[in-house]
Parts: sequence; structure tokens; C-alpha cells
Amino acid sequence: MRKSFLALLCMYGLLFAGLFHWHLIADLQNHPANPRYYYMFSRDRGRIYDRNGLILATSTPLEGGVYQRSYATPSLSHVLGYFHQRYGMTGLERLYHEDLSMGRTLLTSLDWNLQQTAEELLQGLNGAVLAIRPSTGEVLALVSSPSLDGNALDANWSDYLDDLRSPFLNRATHGLYPPGSIVKPIIYGAALEKGNVDRFSLWLDEGSLALQNRTIRNSGGKAHGNIDLDQALALSSNVVFAQLALSLGEGLLQDLKAFGLGQEVDFELSNLKGTVPAKIASAYDGAQIGIGQGELLVTPLQMAVVAQTIANDGVMMRPFLVTEVRGGLKMRQITRPRAIGEILPPAVAHALQEAMALAARQGTAQTDLSSSLDYGGKTGTAEMSQGQDHAWFLGFAPSTNPQVAVAVLVERGGSGSAVAAPIGAKLLAAALRMDE
Amino acid sequence: MIRTLYRAWLEFTSWLAALILWLFLLQGQVYWWQPLLLWVTFMVLFFLTRAWGYDPGAMPFTAVLALTGWAFLTRLNPTWATAQFWGVLAGSAAYLVGIWVGSRKLSYPLLWASAALGLVFVTALVGESAGGARAWLRVGGLRFQPVELARIALVIYLAQALSQGRSKYELYAILTVFFSVLAWQRDLGPALLVFFVFAWMSLAWKFTWPKFLLYLAATAGGFAAAFYFFPHLRTRAIAWLRPWDYLDSKGYQILQGLFALRSGGLVGQGLGEGMDYVIPQVHTDYLFAVIGEEFGLLGTLALLVAYLSLAFWAMQLLQDVPDQTLRLTGLGLSLLLHIQVFMVVGGILRIVPFSGMTLPLVSYGSTSLVAQLALLGLVTGLGQKRSVE
Repeated sequence: MRKSFLALLCMYGLLFAGLFHWHLIADLQNHPANPRYYYMFSRDRGRIYDRNGLILATSTPLEGGVYQRSYATPSLSHVLGYFHQRYGMTGLERLYHEDLSMGRTLLTSLDWNLQQTAEELLQGLNGAVLAIRPSTGEVLALVSSPSLDGNALDANWSDYLDDLRSPFLNRATHGLYPPGSIVKPIIYGAALEKGNVDRFSLWLDEGSLALQNRTIRNSGGKAHGNIDLDQALALSSNVVFAQLALSLGEGLLQDLKAFGLGQEVDFELSNLKGTVPAKIASAYDGAQIGIGQGELLVTPLQMAVVAQTIANDGVMMRPFLVTEVRGGLKMRQITRPRAIGEILPPAVAHALQEAMALAARQGTAQTDLSSSLDYGGKTGTAEMSQGQDHAWFLGFAPSTNPQVAVAVLVERGGSGSAVAAPIGAKLLAAALRMDE
Repeated sequence: MIRTLYRAWLEFTSWLAALILWLFLLQGQVYWWQPLLLWVTFMVLFFLTRAWGYDPGAMPFTAVLALTGWAFLTRLNPTWATAQFWGVLAGSAAYLVGIWVGSRKLSYPLLWASAALGLVFVTALVGESAGGARAWLRVGGLRFQPVELARIALVIYLAQALSQGRSKYELYAILTVFFSVLAWQRDLGPALLVFFVFAWMSLAWKFTWPKFLLYLAATAGGFAAAFYFFPHLRTRAIAWLRPWDYLDSKGYQILQGLFALRSGGLVGQGLGEGMDYVIPQVHTDYLFAVIGEEFGLLGTLALLVAYLSLAFWAMQLLQDVPDQTLRLTGLGLSLLLHIQVFMVVGGILRIVPFSGMTLPLVSYGSTSLVAQLALLGLVTGLGQKRSVE
């Protein structure tokens, strides 16, 4: 009798173990055959706020106890993502799904006004814009254009699928482009840090440089004459920077990697790592990398981090979007700014800031706002073998002790000075206004 | 210690009854008097059993299980709950009859055997089919499953045949006929259950390794033969082994059950918050999964602990019984209930293939309720009388 009871006890023990597994451990909640997975899309969900407490995403009750997710502005689809019964979830909605579905609230570092400004500036263009607070790494705005309207996915989905501009692509994190001249601050910083060049010595720029039977030319073949390095950066002299890159030798690749190129950025949203060539095959290839052409490929997110690092006196901060998760029964979860490392010594970073401020006053980054706004910038025009060039702008404002850093990319936009720099300058101005 | 346990369970029962009453009075349910009456019934049975000098210990656990079943059936469909209510009342009578019969010491083995065989034969000849098995008998306006009662009678016979040295040939002949009829009716869950109970009783009576290996081989052979002859069992085997490959056909029910359990988590979604409507046969086969979704791990554990307490109660009771035959009968009857729990819950948890039986005392099914309560009455009646304190 006793043995039989013990055997029964073992059988019940087996059932207890089974219950424990299927109730608590098995990974079934998001299984495609689980009807609860679809049901959850119509349930209430935590809100997402911007840095000033404005609502970016909320669930509104419809008839029949069903809720619908809505978003403050369409461009948020590339940051917060979307949340839809038929199309699933993406972005922060997906990353923080467990918290949000329990009614917890996300506070983000985004600024709704700046996000909207950026969205308007990119209206009708294909491209990406990021704005980052240099001292902390908080992302103030992240726009990829064109975007999806998270409030009207049903109505537009088939158009999105047919759209040749690929609205599903998040160009800020997954767009890969040659950097063009915006790589020059990195080259300049690396050369100054090594100490093998003098910032104020003069270089002769005759408009072109012959290398191994091939020629590197300035934009428009223009000769700048005797210029120092700050002027070379401000005027975006290919001739000088090709020589500067050559002086760095193979170490150039290490310097690019030190700025995070060729690696994924540690960020909430997934992103591509881009390409830094494994080695420099010839002097001409080295010179090409020095002016941001050749095999080098970067994402706008990576370049925004480069701008942030220069603006933060050489200290790279981890970029982040979610500052706090609160509500529910769990403890508040606060994200603290985290430094990734000192990429440049402060003196070198200051030199770069001054050179980029010069570019904004008199050089290629000059815009209509140059007289009224104190900013630093660098433009880039990534030359493509076919079709229009990509327009780039990296910048920060004010030029001393910067409060915001931006990266702008306009795909097939043409010249960086003509297209990207005005967008960047307006964004910087808007960001400074927002701080007041 | 055991008395403290009873008291705790009784308090829990009253608490549960009060909760259900409060819920349904508040929500304006018209069936609010049913749980009240059920609770009163179980209380009366408890004190009646005690007054007669028998051990009333099965009642608190039974009350918890039956009230939980009733509450979930109300939540699914009040019509089912009403049928369940009458089932419990009929079962109460069966419980009292069971005590009386159990206390008569259950002789006349061939009478029990012929009762068992007669019930299954009649069903096989004039029964009605439902759910792939011809297992129903209609008498007047009542429809019931005779095999629920037949297996109790058979277990009573088996205990006497094993312990009183009756002819082996007689034993095997009766078993063969019983299993053949059930197989012909395609009612294989109960057949398997009775086989396991028989094997366990036989081993509990006298354990030998050759016998153990023989039963193991018979189980394996039986499975192989059943899969060869019954296509619907092949489907069940596939549903058990590879449900993920047949999401919306063979594996649908078992997966929906697992999704429900996982959705329940630790504390459950709350009564009425689960998605019961996606599970087929939810009120009979899969009520346990709904309880799992709405009451969570804590709820399903509590339910299993109630069953385990019934096993513990039976063991305590039967230990003091001097007659070996009665002891074996009590063990067999308890096994009939607990192996069924294991087969049902184990099937839902994918530990064993699902056999399509009801969860004793909880699931919808009046015959099943009557049989289980009669079974508990028999075990109570077998036990030693105690003086009323």
C-alpha cells in the first residue's frame, strides 16, 4: 500500500514538473499558432512619451473593449516602430513589448518638436536625420524618409509594398553609404593625435594630385593654393586629405574603426556595421579612403555618433532612446548615460570643433544661417559611379561647448553643401531653440 | 494532523462557496443557488458519513474539485453547469449507496464480473455512438456511459480474483472479453485505464520481475496493435509526438491546451478572462486547460494537490483494513481514479498520448460524476468504522 502510494506520488510529481514547464517556462506566447498573439494587438498597452512628457504613442479604446494603437507623427514608425494585428510589431514596440503589454510606460529621449521639424525638412526626399545630445548620447530625433504611417497601415500597406523608395528601410540604421568628405574630420583628428603634422603648417593645393598613374581631384578641380589644415578641412581639399591619409599608412583603418566604423553601434535599434576595408592595397586606395570614397561604407547612425564624439570633446557616448521604463509592479528602470571611451584627446577634439566652425563660417558648410547661428559642420558629397551623389552633413551647435550634434544624409541629393548643409543648419537652430 | 487538514479544506470549501455566491449574486446570475446547494450537500454528506462511523475525509477534497468544475462550467456555459449540478446530486446518492455496498464486504466475485461484462455488452449491442466510440446507452430520457460503472465492478472482481486464488483462466477469459468488447466499441481510453489498474493491482499483490516484464510487453504490443488497427489512434500518436508539424489539424487541440497553460502563467488571467473558445471539447477533455489559463499554476497545482490528498486519505484509511482482499479492492478503486487523472492531465501536458477521458470529479459528465462518487463511497465503506468522537 505504501509503495503504491509512493508510486502515485512520483506520478503526481511528474505532472507537477510538466505543469511547471508549460505554465512558466515554455516559449509559446508569441507562437504564430497562438491566437492570444493576435488578440494582444487589440488590448490596452503602455504609453510612450517624449522628453517633455508629450505622448508619442498611446492606445485608444474603440467600441467593444478593443484598443487601437496610434502615434503622434508618421516618422516615429522608424523609431518606436508600429504595433498592428496584421503586420506585427517593430522598433521599440517590439523591444519593450513585455513591459508595454503589462501597462508600463516608456519615457524616451526624443523631442517631438525636433522630430517633426526633421520630418518636415526631409519631406519629399529620401534620407535620414539624427540629432544627439553630445554630453549624454540621448537621441533627440531620428527620422528616416520616407516612413510608414503607423496610424494608417491598413490603408497604405499595398502602396508601401509597391513603393520603389523602400519606405520599410530605416535609412538611419540600415542605409549604407560611402561617407565622402565627412570622413575628413576623422582623418584630421587621427593625424593630429599622432602628432606627425602641425595644424598651422601650410600645404600646397594645386587642385589635383597624381598617384600611380591616376589622379585625385578637388571638387570642381579648384586649386586652393597654400592653405593650412583647418582651411583644408573647411574647403574640403581632397588633395591635402589624400596626402594626410597617406601619411597615416595602414594605421588609417584602425583610426576609422576607433570611431566605430565597420562595427554595429550599441543602440536599442538594430543597425548595420558597414564596411571598413581589411587592408589598404595601394597608395591610391589609401588616398581614396582619406576622402571617403572607395570601399568605405557607413550608416547615418555611425556618423551621428562621430559628430557626437567630436562635439563631446572626444568622448564617445552610447546613443540611447529609452530613458526610463516605469509603472506596473516592477521597479523603475532608468537608463544612465554611458561613455564608450575617449576616442580623441580633448585638445584634438577642440581643434576639430574650430576647423568645423571655420567650415560653417567660410567653407563648404556655409549656409544662409551662418551669419545668425554659431555652429560647426562638415559636408560630404559621396560620389556615385551612376546617378546623383549622396549629400551628407555632420554638425553641432553652438561651435563651442556644443549642445546638439546632427548627421544628415540625403540619398541621391547631389552636393552636400547645397542640399544637406541647409537641412542640418535648420535642424541645429531648431534644436537650440528647443533648449531655451 | 489529518484532522487539521480536513478542517483547512472545509474552510477552503466554505470560502470558495462564499466567493462563488458573492460573484454570482453580484452579477445577477440565476444559478446562484446551485453552488449553495452543492456546498450544503457536501456538508451533509460529510457529517452523515461521520455520524455513521465512517471516515468522511474524502468529502472536503471532492467538494473542492466538484465546485471548481461547476464554477468553470458556469463560466463556459450555464447549461452544462446545471447538468453538472444534477450530476453531483445523483452522485451524492451513489456515494451513500457506495458506502452501504462497501460495508457489505463485497463478496460474490462472479456477480461483479457479470455486471461489468453485462454493462459493456448491452452498450455494444444497443449503444449510441459519439466522438468515435460507441459508449452511450439510452434508458428512458437518460443517456449515460455504462463503462464508467462497469470498470468499478470489474476492479472489485479483479481484487477478489487476485487475492483469493481464483482460476487464472477465468480471470484472463473475463479480461479478454472485457477488452475485446471495448476495442470493438472503439472505446480505448477506459480499456487502457483498466489494463493499467489490473497490472498495478497484480504487481501490488505479488511483485515478480517476469510478471512486470510481461505487462510491459503487453502494453507495448497493445499499443502497436492498436495503432495498426485503429486509424484514429495513429492520429493521436502523431498529435502527441509531432504537434508542431500539424498546427491546425491533428496537433490543434493539444497545442491550444499548451498555449492556454502558458498564457495562465503563475497566477492566471482570472476567471472568465481566458480564450476558452479556441479549444475543442473544452468542457469534457480540456476543462483542465481552461482552469490552467484562468487560475494559473497555483490553481492547477491546488487541483492536483486535492487529488493527491484523496490518494493520501485512501492510503491512511486502507492501511488499517485487516482483510487483504478489501485492501486490494480499495487500492484498485483508488488507482482507477488516480491513473485516470494522470492519463488526462499527462495527456494535456504531453507527457503521455491523450486518451480522451474526463478529469474525474471536475469535467462535464454526469455518469462520470456518479461513478467517481460511488467509487469514493465504496472506498469509504471498505474502511474500518471509527467511533464518533
